[in-house]
Amino acid sequence: MTRSTPAWLAAALLAATPVLAQQPAPPEFAPSNLSPSGVRALAANCAACHGTNGKAAPGSSVPGLAGQPKEAFVTAMAQFKEGKRQATLMHQIAKGYTDAEIAALADFFSKQPR
Amino acid sequence: MSNQRRQFLKAGAAGAALVGLAGCAGMPGGSKARVVVVGGGYSGATAAKYIRMLDPRIEVVLVEPNDAFVSCPISNLVLGGYKTMADITTPYTGLERNHGVRIVKDRATAIDADKKQVRLAKGDPISFDRVIVAPGIDFIPGALPGLASADAQARVLHAWKAGPQTMQLRRQLEQMRDGGVVVISMPEAPYRCPPGPYERLCQIAAYLKTAKPKSKVLLLDANADVTSKGPLFKKAWADLYKGIVEYRPKSKAMDVDVKTGTIKLEFDDVKGDVLNVIPPQKCGSIADPFITANKRWCEVDWLTYESKAVKGVHLLGDALQVAPLMPKSGHMANAHGKACAAAVVALINGEAPNPSPTLSNTCYSFVSDKLVVHVASVHKYDVKDRTMKTVPGAGGVSGAMNELEASYALNWARNIWADSLA
Repeated sequence: MTRSTPAWLAAALLAATPVLAQQPAPPEFAPSNLSPSGVRALAANCAACHGTNGKAAPGSSVPGLAGQPKEAFVTAMAQFKEGKRQATLMHQIAKGYTDAEIAALADFFSKQPR
Repeated sequence: MSNQRRQFLKAGAAGAALVGLAGCAGMPGGSKARVVVVGGGYSGATAAKYIRMLDPRIEVVLVEPNDAFVSCPISNLVLGGYKTMADITTPYTGLERNHGVRIVKDRATAIDADKKQVRLAKGDPISFDRVIVAPGIDFIPGALPGLASADAQARVLHAWKAGPQTMQLRRQLEQMRDGGVVVISMPEAPYRCPPGPYERLCQIAAYLKTAKPKSKVLLLDANADVTSKGPLFKKAWADLYKGIVEYRPKSKAMDVDVKTGTIKLEFDDVKGDVLNVIPPQKCGSIADPFITANKRWCEVDWLTYESKAVKGVHLLGDALQVAPLMPKSGHMANAHGKACAAAVVALINGEAPNPSPTLSNTCYSFVSDKLVVHVASVHKYDVKDRTMKTVPGAGGVSGAMNELEASYALNWARNIWADSLA
């Protein structure tokens, strides 16, 4: 009797293959924190390039965000996300934020003094 | 009032009593707690500023031995000759004047977590309710035996902590004969600033190309390949510096012979007229008691930046055992500083820290005086693995080296220096 792979084992291996080849499980991110302190923390990320509370240095080619109308901010971020607006890196950063986070950031920056 | 808050107020009162004993007269009365920040780099300075912005009733003391902040990002351009030390230096006075951070110009020698005191080289110990330790990196002692002595370290420079060595290395390059060879050695990852050594190769090459065209610069990389922005750097080397740069992967320095100007690899020796050896790294030594990973780095709770080893001690920046795909960068350190500041303020006020922190990162590299490439990422908190992970689909690198991003890079620098220090 030849020792061929039993049919049940072959089937099991075949079924298991996609599991073995799977990518690591997708991340389970915490739900967005859109409380006032949560939004402030989110906005603090923008400050490294765009200035504290969105106020950029005078003459900065990286634009300030403080005092930007809400709609302009939301539209720009949506266009960055969709690749419809010319960008060097904002299309890559924008994709890291949910639409609800972007709306909250738009509200936050619209209220900051220029 | 929560129990936790009552505990903090008690600790605050105890702290205030200790202040008197320690002779820290002139502290504003009525503060609810004192946070001592050790180290005024990208993460420590930012944490100090943001705590004061978020809650002015928390007293913040920053312990920093240097007169001013000197930025590692952009410092490679000093080597290239395109920027000066003054361009990358920012005073600490803005933190004091604009935010009421008390600056103590001294070197911290130990963190006493039991007594809740930071001990200093010169001054009396400073008591704290919470301490934020932001020590940056130090070099692993004995990793390169030939560099053990102070004399050897004065001759073969790392210039991996921007400051006097940055200018000294520039001088060595200026004094080298045309036709000389510069050899840079870099350690295995993780190390401070993943793209930094490759940018340095470009900057030194840019200088040699114009000033000493018969010269060469060689990068000995301990890693198997370029660890950051690989295709972009390789294209820059091929297009801009052909015949000037040589990149050698899998070339880990085992030792340095300072007398003969030789870097000893596993199977080979490489001689140079100027050696720039970036040794293997660990957290800044003051954080040694909090090391939990590979005898080199400190692990933290990513919601609070509290040490996994000792309660009440927060750690930041390059000293951390990083999360997956998180770089040891100035930008990331600045982001740590803000997330930690918010958490420390929440904890002092008896509130829950932000359960959903986001961090972003952008690293620009100058491949010449005018051309720049970037890498960017966004990191969010994974509740299952309790670590920061990159957001799938977000982040990336430049399409190609370009001039537009040179302007963005320099303005990024101005804005992040102000965000950290002004």
